[in-house]
Amino acid sequence: MLSLFLLLPFLGIIALNLPVKGRRDAAAFLYTLSLSIGQAIVVLFNPGDFWAKPDFWGGFFNLGLYADNLTFVMLLSIGIVVSTAVCVGWQTISDHRQRLNFYNLVLIALIGMNGTVMLTDIFSLYVFLEVTAISSFILIAFHRDLNALEGAFKYIVLSALATVLMLTSIAALLLFSGGTSFAAVSAAVKSNSGNVIVIIAVSLFICGLFIKGGLVPFHGWLPAAYSAAPAAVSILLAGIVTKVAGIYVLIRLVRDVFGPISEISSVLMLVGTFSIIVGALAALKQDNFKKILAYSSISQVGYIVLGLGCGSPLGIAGAIFHLFNHSIFKSLLFVNSAAVEKQTGSTDITKMGGLGSRMPYSNATNLIAIFSTSGIPPMAGFWSKLVIIMALWQMGHFTYAAIAILVSVITLAYLLAIQRKVFFGILPQELKHIKEAGIWIVIPAVTLAIIIIGTGLCFPLLFKSFLMPVSSFFK
Amino acid sequence: MNANMLLLPVIIPLLAGILILLVRRLRGIISLLATGSILIIAIALFKQQLTYSLPWLGFGIDFNLRLYPFSAFILLSITALSFLVMLYSCSFMQGKNYLNQFYAYFLITIGLASGAVLADNLVLMLFFWEGLLITLFGFIAIGGKDAFKTATKMFIIVGVSDLCMMIGIGIVWYLTGTMTISTLNVPLNTLGCTAFVLMMIGAIAKGGSMPFHTWIPDAAIDAPLPFMAILPGCLEKLLGIYLLVRITMDMFKLTPGSLLSSLLMIIGAVTIVLAVMMALIQKDYKKLLSYHAISQVGYMILGIGTCLPAGIIGGLFHMINNALYKNCLFLTAGSVEKQTGTTNLNKLGGLWSKMPVTAVCFLITAASISGVPPFNGFFSKEMIYGAALERGTIFYIAALLGSFLTAASFLKLGHAVYFGKRNQENENTRESSLPMLIPMIVIAAVCVFFGLYNRFAVSYFLEPVLAGQEFTEHTSTLLIALTVIVLIVAILHHIIGAIVNGSGVKAADHIHHAPVLSGIYDRAEKRFFDPYEIGLKIVSIASNILFFLDRAVDWIYDGFTVKLAYGLSGAIKRLNTGNYSLYIIWSLLGGLIILILMFKGFGS
Repeated sequence: MLSLFLLLPFLGIIALNLPVKGRRDAAAFLYTLSLSIGQAIVVLFNPGDFWAKPDFWGGFFNLGLYADNLTFVMLLSIGIVVSTAVCVGWQTISDHRQRLNFYNLVLIALIGMNGTVMLTDIFSLYVFLEVTAISSFILIAFHRDLNALEGAFKYIVLSALATVLMLTSIAALLLFSGGTSFAAVSAAVKSNSGNVIVIIAVSLFICGLFIKGGLVPFHGWLPAAYSAAPAAVSILLAGIVTKVAGIYVLIRLVRDVFGPISEISSVLMLVGTFSIIVGALAALKQDNFKKILAYSSISQVGYIVLGLGCGSPLGIAGAIFHLFNHSIFKSLLFVNSAAVEKQTGSTDITKMGGLGSRMPYSNATNLIAIFSTSGIPPMAGFWSKLVIIMALWQMGHFTYAAIAILVSVITLAYLLAIQRKVFFGILPQELKHIKEAGIWIVIPAVTLAIIIIGTGLCFPLLFKSFLMPVSSFFK
Repeated sequence: MNANMLLLPVIIPLLAGILILLVRRLRGIISLLATGSILIIAIALFKQQLTYSLPWLGFGIDFNLRLYPFSAFILLSITALSFLVMLYSCSFMQGKNYLNQFYAYFLITIGLASGAVLADNLVLMLFFWEGLLITLFGFIAIGGKDAFKTATKMFIIVGVSDLCMMIGIGIVWYLTGTMTISTLNVPLNTLGCTAFVLMMIGAIAKGGSMPFHTWIPDAAIDAPLPFMAILPGCLEKLLGIYLLVRITMDMFKLTPGSLLSSLLMIIGAVTIVLAVMMALIQKDYKKLLSYHAISQVGYMILGIGTCLPAGIIGGLFHMINNALYKNCLFLTAGSVEKQTGTTNLNKLGGLWSKMPVTAVCFLITAASISGVPPFNGFFSKEMIYGAALERGTIFYIAALLGSFLTAASFLKLGHAVYFGKRNQENENTRESSLPMLIPMIVIAAVCVFFGLYNRFAVSYFLEPVLAGQEFTEHTSTLLIALTVIVLIVAILHHIIGAIVNGSGVKAADHIHHAPVLSGIYDRAEKRFFDPYEIGLKIVSIASNILFFLDRAVDWIYDGFTVKLAYGLSGAIKRLNTGNYSLYIIWSLLGGLIILILMFKGFGS
């Protein structure tokens, strides 16, 4: 029944665009919201083996979907982040027509992401990546101002490059495997290890994913795209789109398809560490709320890739956990940036101050997200970073572990700079009238903060029952 | 006799002290009842041998109390003197500030002191011992504005020496594996000697010996007077010397002629002479007495340091005598302070006729401390002289010199306060009230009694302490004659000095202004030799150096690293020009590097 995750959004798009009179934007909002929340809830309370059942309409719509624990984690994250973006979109986009467009595009992105995480075929995977990417391009350029167009354009150009790399890679792999399913590709890579073309193919695919995921030095498009996008789109992009398109696929391929090859591991750790450092350092000197968060994303993604590169079950578990946590806390940070942007009309943190007294919910939730991001116990982010660092230590990568710990301090530095400049300090005269941004921003913010704390507190429970099984290899 | 009785001298004062803090009234009655009842208990317990044991912390650290002749004797002294001083305080402290705290500290101090004396476990003893540090701090701190500084000074000095003792106890545990004092027998190897010296520091610092004495003269000015009378004047001597005797006799079994014994004697002799030199030039009643409180400890340490039975008995006898007369001397000072409002010798004089009882008590106790026969101080000093002479002439000479200066300074003190010309302001001075006079009279009477019946005092109270060791007196007619000659010289010196310098208070000024001594005195008065002040200077220099290092390290973190991080950050910001073709080039270059890396790996 996994195809429901694709069919329901698809049917929704058709239904919402029927020429019916009335508040179609409200209907779209309600439908998208209930769909994404529903997705999170059904995944969380996974009803037995319902998902393993064949579709009741038989093989008519058979895409070879498959769900393991990693998929469920991703579906959960997608559900949470999309519902957040939907709420914030309702609050920040005022035009009815625009809203309808927005929800349509979100639904398309949802199809793309859900498909990406459930597919077991390397080419279909690519197709759904492109579906996601194309809806993202339009979403970034949503307001059609110069910045947005520039950001979208950069994303398109570099995505195109990624497309070229991945397609080339798929073509090259097809030479050996005779099929594009994971199993066939995996067998081909294993039996042809050392073959020049296979190595090139694998490298190119990974490079393509690095571009999609925004790792250094493939990250050029990312700050521009994140900061130029409308608030709700930033949440979607930073919280989940790039994570699914880049990082999830990377984890899936490295874990299940290419197998734990030591060269890939070293490249992953190198690129991961490089991203951690450059992302964190770059974030230090930014004045733009969203740009800081964008660079922070690069840095945090570096942690995930570093954990993945570690190769041990513990490292992969940490990477997946951090991926989940990142989608939560980064979404929360972007929600707060959306709140601030909406109320002050700016994302320049040097012009703000003292908003904490006027926007208590944003203030408190932002602090929680910051603590989670920089790995302060007992927030969720602390545990995932701890697991990654422990895995690195276990495997003897002491330098990487040390760097990971040290950069946590820089993370705290640039994030606290946000907190200090935006929420603490003296309220400027022109911001005296500021209020909380609205119910549809406060509700997701508080929910995400509760998830962060809850996950952090329940970690000992999650570790054995949830995390370690997630990292188990594809069977 | 029920062994649980042993708990009472500890618990009653502690509870009474807490009660006063809670109830805030009836403090005089509660205090007198508490001290009176434990005095009765101590009398009842005297000549008993009891042990009390209660499991406490585990690891061989139990709540063991042990009453045997020595501790019973010290307990009796503590309770008796505490009761008398408490009686005195009820009158003296009227109208002073922080009364509740004063009485509470007093009672808690007594309880803790009793505990420390009765404890038969080193950790338990340390527990009470350190508790005393806290009440001591409180006692001094309630004295007034500047008292807090003195209290801090005391806390650091005594705290450091207690720390030494703690380390010593740790070593003892390491060496013997037990903490029960009565079963301890520590070997005197290198580590054992270290342990002894460390514990000795704790003991003599409590007693107020040099060089751990410097807070006492400061406290004499700042702290309430009954505090001086009971703590540095008596309780601390009792405790310190008690512990010193315990460690030299029981725990470590020092032998005469050993290096440690000589070390003790040197400390004793130096303390006697230097402290009394300082006492001689003081112009304040209480401060002068406080230096004597230090000097007299020297005699006890000297006597015990001989490790001869006669010396130890002499030291102990001197300890109890000193507790009596020093206590009484401080009480007379309090009496004078209460009635005239000052203790400055230049403003006093001729009080003999106005305060006859106080004056008589002063005369008796001053004669005692100066070692005038037939008062008690004379006999204990003779015993110490004899033992000291056996160990070395130099110690004897030092002790005798100390005697001379003691006599000289008390002649000066007595002359300045009670005789000579009366100050105009003191015309209306009257004798103190009865509750203040009774303790003085009682103590002075005991001084006389212990002098006249010194054989009885020694054999009844002190000889059981030796537990059967042979005890022979070393005193001879020659020594007694020498002592008497020294006293006569001291009197002559005083008379001539008083005539030459013009008044009693200036009788010793020629020593003060002697060529070499005057310089030393000036520096000593400016606390030039105070280990605490020297320590403070060293600490301040060290802290400056450390502060500099700290700034340097801080700069690495706070300056350099931040600059580096911001520099790199700025560089990255400049690299992100927003030019998408540049980003494509990066990506392609990155891909190239990854390809190379992959091939390098597979190739090998």
